[in-house]
Amino acid sequence: MSDYAPVNLSAPDQIEFELNRRRLAAPAGTMLVDAAYAHGVEVPVFCYEPRLGGPIGACRMCLVHVEGMRGLQTACSTQVQPDMVVRSDTDEVRDAHDGVLELLLANHPLDCPVCDKGGECPLQDRTFKFGPGKTQFVEHKRHFPKPLDLSSLIALDRERCITCFRCVRFSQEVAEDGHLIMRERGGDSEIATFTGDHYTGRFTGNVIDLCPVGALTSVPYRFVARPWDIKNTPSVCGHCPVGCNLELTEHEGHVARVTGRPNPNYSVEEGWLCDKARFAYPEDRAPDRVRQPLIRDAAATREVAIEEAVEAAALLLGRDGPHAFLLGPGATVEEGFLAQELASGPCRGALVAQLGLGDAPALAGLRAAPAAQLDDIDRADLVVLVGGDPANQQPVVELRIRKAVRGGGRLVSAGPRRHPLSGLGPSYITPPGRLLDGVRAAGPAFRAARRPLVLWDEADLAHEPAAAAELAGLLGATRGARQLELGADVNGAGLSALGIPGAADLVAALEQGTITTLLTIHAQPAESAGAARWAEALGRVGAVVALASHGGGIADSAAVVLPAATHREQEGVYVSMAKRAQRLRPGAAPPGGAAPGWELLIALAHRLGAAPAYRSPAATFAAAAAARPALAGLSYDVIGELGALLHAAPPATTNGAVGGGGADGTGLPLVTTLRIFGDAAAHRSDALSGVRQGAEVVLGAGEAERRGLAGAAQVRLQSPHGACTLPLRVDPRCPDGAVHATLGVPGAGVERLLAVDRSPVRVEVTAA
Amino acid sequence: MTADEIRGHIDPIRDQFAEGRSLILPALKFAQTEKGYLDGADLEAVGEAVGLTTAYVESVATFYDRLYLQPTGRRVISVCINLSCMLRGCDELLSHLTGRLGLPSDGGSTDDGAFTVQQAQCLGYCDRAPCLQVDVGETQGPMSLDDADALIEALRAAPTPDRLWR
Repeated sequence: MSDYAPVNLSAPDQIEFELNRRRLAAPAGTMLVDAAYAHGVEVPVFCYEPRLGGPIGACRMCLVHVEGMRGLQTACSTQVQPDMVVRSDTDEVRDAHDGVLELLLANHPLDCPVCDKGGECPLQDRTFKFGPGKTQFVEHKRHFPKPLDLSSLIALDRERCITCFRCVRFSQEVAEDGHLIMRERGGDSEIATFTGDHYTGRFTGNVIDLCPVGALTSVPYRFVARPWDIKNTPSVCGHCPVGCNLELTEHEGHVARVTGRPNPNYSVEEGWLCDKARFAYPEDRAPDRVRQPLIRDAAATREVAIEEAVEAAALLLGRDGPHAFLLGPGATVEEGFLAQELASGPCRGALVAQLGLGDAPALAGLRAAPAAQLDDIDRADLVVLVGGDPANQQPVVELRIRKAVRGGGRLVSAGPRRHPLSGLGPSYITPPGRLLDGVRAAGPAFRAARRPLVLWDEADLAHEPAAAAELAGLLGATRGARQLELGADVNGAGLSALGIPGAADLVAALEQGTITTLLTIHAQPAESAGAARWAEALGRVGAVVALASHGGGIADSAAVVLPAATHREQEGVYVSMAKRAQRLRPGAAPPGGAAPGWELLIALAHRLGAAPAYRSPAATFAAAAAARPALAGLSYDVIGELGALLHAAPPATTNGAVGGGGADGTGLPLVTTLRIFGDAAAHRSDALSGVRQGAEVVLGAGEAERRGLAGAAQVRLQSPHGACTLPLRVDPRCPDGAVHATLGVPGAGVERLLAVDRSPVRVEVTAA
Repeated sequence: MTADEIRGHIDPIRDQFAEGRSLILPALKFAQTEKGYLDGADLEAVGEAVGLTTAYVESVATFYDRLYLQPTGRRVISVCINLSCMLRGCDELLSHLTGRLGLPSDGGSTDDGAFTVQQAQCLGYCDRAPCLQVDVGETQGPMSLDDADALIEALRAAPTPDRLWR
């Protein structure tokens, strides 16, 4: 992993010092190891990891000679001082490196040939570079039964551990889950959890990246590949709108591992990934993956060659319109733009819409306020969290908020649900539709703050215009206040930048039976908000062409299925919720006859007789950037490895959530919640089978009592839009006055309760 | 032991410590006086009383030799095995004691639950080596093999302490 902190060598007020007879400079406060690394001198480290907080000097690997100081100093915990004279290349220092490595290796087994870390192991590399070559120890090494399952995702080989404490510090001080500890002392030390329970959490996999030896390894990747048989590609996560930068490992033609990047994007994820980002990749090879093009008619479903499928799709889209194109939240900017190009060319007049929230007018004021990036959370002295549940919906944001609070910042939260961050500061739970009360309660905190930062949830505020207006007013009235949107849809910002509206008109047109052919692009309307209405409307369309990576839903009934690459298998651009355009790069080729969506859409344009002037995703994006002001100035080169910010606002569109109306229906207001391991990706990935979460209905104890449901195991929820039946959990800490239900779990059907624009509803709760 | 009992012990001494976390040791020592060792429920109670996770309490408890996570005998005899004592015959002292009580040569607990014999790091009585300590009583030395026999007899005759400070 990153190991060394980035150093800004062009910052003002540099301090001059001497290293190995070279006169160098670094900003005041820089640690010697980082300053040396920035100038091309590697001082070896194991325990040092600046992202885990201050240095602890546990491993003694970074000893250097500092003139005038007694004995060798640990460079990880020594700051550069004016005119300090440092040597890392003397015999004394080399001797110390030899000695420390010899001690670290005293108990470390020589099993590198069968160790997953071998070949990409800091201990191996630094032993080779700085080590003694042979050992004076003749004693037996420690042995343990191996491996120990720290969880269903992480294996622990205790004899390989060099007790650097990185994983323990991550658990205690970054994720703050407090699970991992060091048991025993000295030569008996070992990593463990309390009484051997599994290490569970949302961020556990980061300890695999952090481990500088092969003690903590990934269970799904264990013994899968050797480092010289893999190819690593930097890309971006496609599971939530945070847009964490990550690295995809290809082995034997498919993505076999996902890790944090060796050079983290400090403005986004800082190198941390949630366990869904890290372990969802097996979904690319799930049993329901669409591997071959399909043509379906009344008689049968046939696997066909891709040319035949594209021909058939072109035939359907070549009929008289109007047609409609529906983009899922995970469609790339290129796919969205190509759909728009089809609609303005060969399929003139086609409706183009996105399944996501679209551009809600209520949010315009908030979006116009000064925007922040994720790293600004660290420096905020007040974080106001309005709505949402970042721990489950935009997971890495949780780590940033915890970091801000550790650094002395305050957290004030307001919203309709209790969540894992509620306990970090004052929390106002408001019933749905009354978020304004919560915003007002949080208001006074702004007065004392110098760098307040508002994190606001797109989905919750889209239907609370009064709260959004109040919040925008607070932002405008507070000097230095900034805002960051907690987006709902993976590439919602990217599709909105193209001017693609929400799907209200599209679903209405489908219902009227006027649409000839519907083309869905990574969209599963019957599993999205308004599922009941979508299912009804889809019955009235002439024909459906589905561009999809996985079966189920629309792919099981479409006349033509074009097998598409997933976000790990194709090029494209996603725009994060912080309006940062970032590049997806394919970690592997899609399986079987599947192809990237952009390629299929360009092929379709050719067949429809309107060949575009470009034939690569880079050229497609360049055309989009030239045509859409919100993307002006961007290109693949400009975006580069770390992304680039959108500067212009997206065009205003209609059909986003309008908001302001009261909740539809009778009974209790419905609060939807999302669970990190409760979506289709987590349910498809066999790696996550041990942690995946189902759907449930949660009621407060008082509410359950009042409705005579305290003993019910299952309840039926009925809204004006649809109904579903789910297990009931009565939680004394759950606020009364609302019913909470889990959205997004495949097959659970909570989406049926909602309207297409996700506007608020009330539901009748009865025992089932 | 319950978290409330532990709070009753540590609340009066809370202001003696700059950091609340430091109370973990007095809390663990006190919790151990009930049974002579700590079980999972005790660790959870200490965590609750001090405001730390159980996992963290466990990491501290496993660090110290004198905090026991398994039942011990009623009296615990710790024999120093560091340099001075080793030069003055602690190996013989330890093997004599364990042999007499029918224990493995590196220590253990007797079947009747009367004694635990364990090795200890330096007890600070190098000038009176070889030395040993019973529970947290005064360190004794120099101990001849006859002294060790007499000590066992005396301890067998003595009443069990009502609070097991180890």
